[in-house]
Amino acid sequence: MNAVATPLLELKGISKSYGHIEALTQADFDIRPNEVVGLLGDNGAGKSTLVKIMSGVEFPTSGKIFRDGKPATIRSRKDSERLGIETIYQDSALVGSASIMRNFFAGRELTKGPGLLDMQAMNAIVMDQLLNTVKIAGIDSPDILVETLSGGQRQAVAIARAVYFKTAMLLLDEPTSALSVRETDKLLAHLGELKADGVSAVFITHNLYHAYESCDRFVILSRGRVIRSLTREETTVRELNDIIVKN
Amino acid sequence: MTKTASDLSGLALQPRSRRWRDLLREPVASICMLFIVFQLVCIVGALLFPEAFRYLSPQNVSLLQRAIPVIGVVALGVGLLMITGEYDLSVGSVYTLAGYSMAMLYTAGVSPVVALVLTLLIGIVIGIVNGIITVKTGIPSFIATMGSMLLVRGLVRWLSEMGSVSFRPGEAFASLFTGSVFGVEAAFIWFIVLALAAAVFLHRSKIGNHMYLVGGNERTARAVGIATDRVKIVAFALSGMAAAIAGVLSITRVGTATPAQGLGMELRAIAVCVIGGLFLSGGRGTVLGIVVGACILYMVEDVLLLLRAPGFYLDVFVGAILVIAVIANTALARRSAK
Ligand SMILES: Nc1ncnc2c1ncn2[C@@H]1O[C@H](COP(=O)(O)OP(=O)(O)O)[C@@H](O)[C@H]1O
Ligand SMILES: [Mg+2]
Repeated sequence: MNAVATPLLELKGISKSYGHIEALTQADFDIRPNEVVGLLGDNGAGKSTLVKIMSGVEFPTSGKIFRDGKPATIRSRKDSERLGIETIYQDSALVGSASIMRNFFAGRELTKGPGLLDMQAMNAIVMDQLLNTVKIAGIDSPDILVETLSGGQRQAVAIARAVYFKTAMLLLDEPTSALSVRETDKLLAHLGELKADGVSAVFITHNLYHAYESCDRFVILSRGRVIRSLTREETTVRELNDIIVKN
Repeated sequence: MTKTASDLSGLALQPRSRRWRDLLREPVASICMLFIVFQLVCIVGALLFPEAFRYLSPQNVSLLQRAIPVIGVVALGVGLLMITGEYDLSVGSVYTLAGYSMAMLYTAGVSPVVALVLTLLIGIVIGIVNGIITVKTGIPSFIATMGSMLLVRGLVRWLSEMGSVSFRPGEAFASLFTGSVFGVEAAFIWFIVLALAAAVFLHRSKIGNHMYLVGGNERTARAVGIATDRVKIVAFALSGMAAAIAGVLSITRVGTATPAQGLGMELRAIAVCVIGGLFLSGGRGTVLGIVVGACILYMVEDVLLLLRAPGFYLDVFVGAILVIAVIANTALARRSAK
């Protein structure tokens, strides 16, 4: 792999304002093949806004987006899905009152005959993914309601879903904030496995040690602007911390 | 591919014991159990005292079969909408309007079948308008549909002052809704058919799945790419249509439309749903629950009437059942969410 490989996704000069609040100002950002990017910055820096723009939940006020170098528009969740982008929010990625299977296939249900849900096929796929992709123990049925799962199990379900639907880029917005220490370890391990499977990721966290452990590159935002982009080899946890605190 | 019973129950791939335990945890299980116990007590009572307690008399059985479908069909629509997290208070008015629409169109010379189609369309259009107002303005559906409830009720009053409104269609059409097959009333058969259709729609179709997800967490549903507004508008339309169907069932039997018929029906329909294990907050519930809820509500009233209890007991009992059902369902949900 060389440094000039075309990014999977490239955002150029992205600005986003909410009324008079400018959440992002002329932000440039890219995700390259086979890398985990740490998106860092203090609260309110604009990290979530950037993720929402990439996942189609918000539309930028100005700026351009390229997928594999070709101009692209992301206006909805369907658009981002088509570009191979999947988002995992800290807990809003799943509906608690619905079963694992119904969440797994939410919006992408398999049907047969006259448009009826193919329950058998979907149940089988979910169990296979949970047991073989994310290897979580303790889930023995696709009908368990998501609200009965632990935070880590929920993330695992969301990750299994991303893997199954052949996501190219996984966006994780503070995925560990609701997790126990052990669950966090497991999630970081999943990130490593995903990368081995060729899935790139954007990882937002406030824990710089977690970021340093799992990311190849760091992009630092401050008050809506991208202020630095550093590879892991170029920097240390201490330096990252200083950059974030001093801006 | 064949569908097995376990597949239909949605609990495939589980060991047997587990399946039963999970099934008993469903809010609908407790209400089904209550229904069965209640039914057994009534049947035993009726067999022991056939003269004093005429529960099994042909008149009573037929009365129940004709009364349950009306509120039951309305509740199917209201329940489906409740699962998406919205309410429809206009169903009582739409129900009454449907009777007027059938009678007036028929009197004007329109064939009963065409009148039926137009009447259902009226229900659907009112539902769509309710839906559009709710999702586009962000006004709570409770308020938006209260507005249309009053508006349609006013329209019905105005219509009722224009003269006689009776509906006496030919034998063929009437028997479609008032006949009976092997002692089962046509209205009840319609109710079961509609309930089965609703069950397939809600539990086994794509949009049905989206209704649960939207009601469970609208923000997440939107984030995974579900057209939440469209899903809700469809649910509102079905609620309006169900109310209109109930109105048709009723006018075909009664023959005359009066403006007071549907009063209070919206709250009774919500009560049926809640008794049947649906959550006011949306995202949960089953069609089976709605059906059993409708049966229980009417059976309780019926039994009280048979026992010649004073009228106010009806409300007291229905109120008590409602509150107990909510407490039981909430407790069950909390236990299983642990
Ligand atoms: N929907 C919104 N409406 C108004 N302001 C918003 C909205 N979303 C985010 N903001 C503002 O945009 C800025 C960036 O927010 P956000 O992207 O959530 O930051 P971060 O995720 O880095 O903490 C903040 O000042 C925040 O208050
Ligand atoms: Mg954030």
